[in-house]
Amino acid sequence: MPIRKVSSKATSKVTGTAAAAAAAADATTGATTGKKSLLQRLAKSAGSPVVFAIIVIGLGVLPLLYSSGAIDSTAMIIFSGKCIALAILAIGIDLIWGYTGMLSLGQGLFFALGGYCMAMHLKMVATGGNITEFMHTGGLSELPIIWRPFLTFPATLVLIIVVPAVVGGLVGFFIFRNRVKGVFFSIISQALTWAAFSLFMATSPWTNGNTGITEIKSVFGSIRGDANLDHLYMLFYVSLGVLVLVFILATLLTRTKFGKLLIAIRDGENRTYFSGYSVSRYKNTIYVISAVLAGIGGALFVNFNGSISPSVMTISYSIMMVVWVAIGGRGTIIGAVIGTLLINFGEYTIASGSMIQAWQFIVGGIFVVVILFFKGGIVGIFTSQLPAAWRWLQARLGGRGQGKGADQGAGGQLAASQAGSSADAEVG
Amino acid sequence: MKKSRQMFARIAALMLSLTLAFSLVACGGGSSSTGGGTSTGGGTAGGDEGDTVVVGILHSKTGAMAISEQAVIDAEILAIEEINASGGVLGKQIEYIEEDGASDPATFATKAEKLVSQDKVVTVFGCWTSSSRKAVKSVFEDYESLLWYPVQYEGMEQSPNIIYTGAAPNQQIVPAVEYLLDNGYTKFFLIGSDYVFPRTANMIITAQVKAAGAEIVGEEYAAMDQTDFASIITKIEAAKPDIIVNTLNGTGNVSFFKQMAEKNYTAAEYPTMSFSIAEEEVATIGPDILKDHMVSWNYYQTTDTPENEDFVAAYKARWGANRVTSDPAEAAYDGVYLWKAAVEKAGSFEVAAVLEVIRTGEISFQAPEGLVTIDGATQHLSKPVRIGVIGADGLIEEVYATPEPVAPDPYLKGYQWAVDANIQPLE
Repeated sequence: MPIRKVSSKATSKVTGTAAAAAAAADATTGATTGKKSLLQRLAKSAGSPVVFAIIVIGLGVLPLLYSSGAIDSTAMIIFSGKCIALAILAIGIDLIWGYTGMLSLGQGLFFALGGYCMAMHLKMVATGGNITEFMHTGGLSELPIIWRPFLTFPATLVLIIVVPAVVGGLVGFFIFRNRVKGVFFSIISQALTWAAFSLFMATSPWTNGNTGITEIKSVFGSIRGDANLDHLYMLFYVSLGVLVLVFILATLLTRTKFGKLLIAIRDGENRTYFSGYSVSRYKNTIYVISAVLAGIGGALFVNFNGSISPSVMTISYSIMMVVWVAIGGRGTIIGAVIGTLLINFGEYTIASGSMIQAWQFIVGGIFVVVILFFKGGIVGIFTSQLPAAWRWLQARLGGRGQGKGADQGAGGQLAASQAGSSADAEVG
Repeated sequence: MKKSRQMFARIAALMLSLTLAFSLVACGGGSSSTGGGTSTGGGTAGGDEGDTVVVGILHSKTGAMAISEQAVIDAEILAIEEINASGGVLGKQIEYIEEDGASDPATFATKAEKLVSQDKVVTVFGCWTSSSRKAVKSVFEDYESLLWYPVQYEGMEQSPNIIYTGAAPNQQIVPAVEYLLDNGYTKFFLIGSDYVFPRTANMIITAQVKAAGAEIVGEEYAAMDQTDFASIITKIEAAKPDIIVNTLNGTGNVSFFKQMAEKNYTAAEYPTMSFSIAEEEVATIGPDILKDHMVSWNYYQTTDTPENEDFVAAYKARWGANRVTSDPAEAAYDGVYLWKAAVEKAGSFEVAAVLEVIRTGEISFQAPEGLVTIDGATQHLSKPVRIGVIGADGLIEEVYATPEPVAPDPYLKGYQWAVDANIQPLE
């Protein structure tokens, strides 16, 4: 019996014949479904922290592996640091896309803003507060005003948060107040990023155009070479700590009333609106949060990368970020982290030599397969599809004569996984 | 039912963590990268142990720059294969690991770090754009590794860990402007893409032209991917220059010249001198449109040396009869041979030893473009400069060449007009 109920709920999602059917189904089997979703929630709340803990430990032991000689270069640690920065950005994308249903194709803008704030400070450290080579070439003789705040580290830290927040807040204010949504929001976010790209290119005496800000060290000093190992480790563990903090806060956020409202907005914006909630304010808030996370990610990234250029504001880069989240599994914070790490590490290790072109097809192929069959991404496979397949198998082997219903269940799960936690939200 | 679910959740968590752990371990272990191996076998993973020595090739194989950089990769691979066929370097066969910078400076930095720190290659041949070179510069300096950079660029740089085998401004731009001034052109119009090379080039050209008493009648920049040149062409028509100096790059060239051609302007009305159009670009834009326009490089496919005859034949035999050789490809080819010469003179693959012999200024190579020598002080090449005119067949005919190779001067310290105009880096 329970299988049938799950399937009917799921199928109604697919067809979109909406709440009435689902509500009816839920009403008839309220008790069973309630218990089920409780269990599911338990599995979910335990599963994601466990996986995240494993990831953190896996990353955390890298320096130890190097110290003990198990790996013979720090390149992997530095690259892992870049991935940590990108994972923080991906969590932000997941919050606005996976949870709130707004597909932003312009997170590269906020990543760049945070990154440039950090890079400008580090460049000032490198030049000792004097003007840079490119300012000199651009005809400037003294430090421009926009560079002055970055002379001190505390001001830089504040600006890394404030600049993306203000830009995101302003943009969001106009977008959401005018109820721009769906594909129009995506296009605007992308156009803004492109405009920023052009702006950075055009103001080369201040930003160094398409070369960007290069030849900078991290906030702890140089991180390359064995002599600077403690700098690298410090930076690496600080970044890992930020990731853990962001993960915990983001997870907690999704469990608050605010988080539930985000899901409600995703699944029925008008209904949320007519329930008396100021949808645009919620959307704007989460947009600002995701912008700040992207900014923090960018600031950490620059420390590991030693340079930043406007290429992080290209459209393809922002789309790639969305792909990480889609592959990992949107609507689950852990999915964003998994997707980012898997695709980037895959690119790093596989896309070399004769596999360079092939890798493009591999990522493209994975993306297509995920969109077609695994809408919940990698996480969805484990939380929805495999359980469905397992039940189907059990039903077959158990010979309970429920083959038809179970089949339906497995099919319906494909879409149910997309809805992810939305099912819970609507039931509850 | 409940139990099975619970169990399943556990299995799911386990499998997920296993997958992740496995992938992390696989990544963490990764010093045994093989990459795009050559015909030579060899089991070494890096450095120069065993019968092989591993070098890195770092260019864009994907993204906007891939179309340009492929020619450079092909030239480098050709040189490596030729050296291997003739016995290798210090008795060792060269293996190469190819990494993709994906036309993105951040990716270039990541991959450069991977090559020098993880794969432990003895040297890297790579980069095209100035932004990618700037992004990897500190990587090579911090790891005390060595990069061979094959493209003409804007100068104003001199890293102890980079050998610049393309032209410095005084080996391409300055002689070209000198040639134009000598031929009586007095009204210059500058047009370029909006990034560091054109802006720096135009700064140099302006100083040089003004010092000679000639006139700059306009200076315009187009976005990198601009396709509409109507307003710029209108400005050109209004300014009536007798020469257009063109530093557009990439697709901008295609649009600009096509739109000039649509107005029936040929080289007779508006002659141009271009610094980013080589044989590859002529083939893309069309020789009929570019006929009789001028370019300035150190090498053309038609350059008349016995070495070039062999080079062009080998390049076409290896990569296809319809392929053309160009200045950057030739400079990349030279880079591999110069590295070989330096290693053999040093008797070692160690970067410090190789750099030491390079700094003696005695490393040279009889290249397709003529004799090139690494200048010990600047780590740029002294090389001949050639002004060419594009022919109807798509090849470039040399109309003027410097009698002797020109010594590199990346900071233009030897030119009084440049010093007067304060074209100098910060102290």
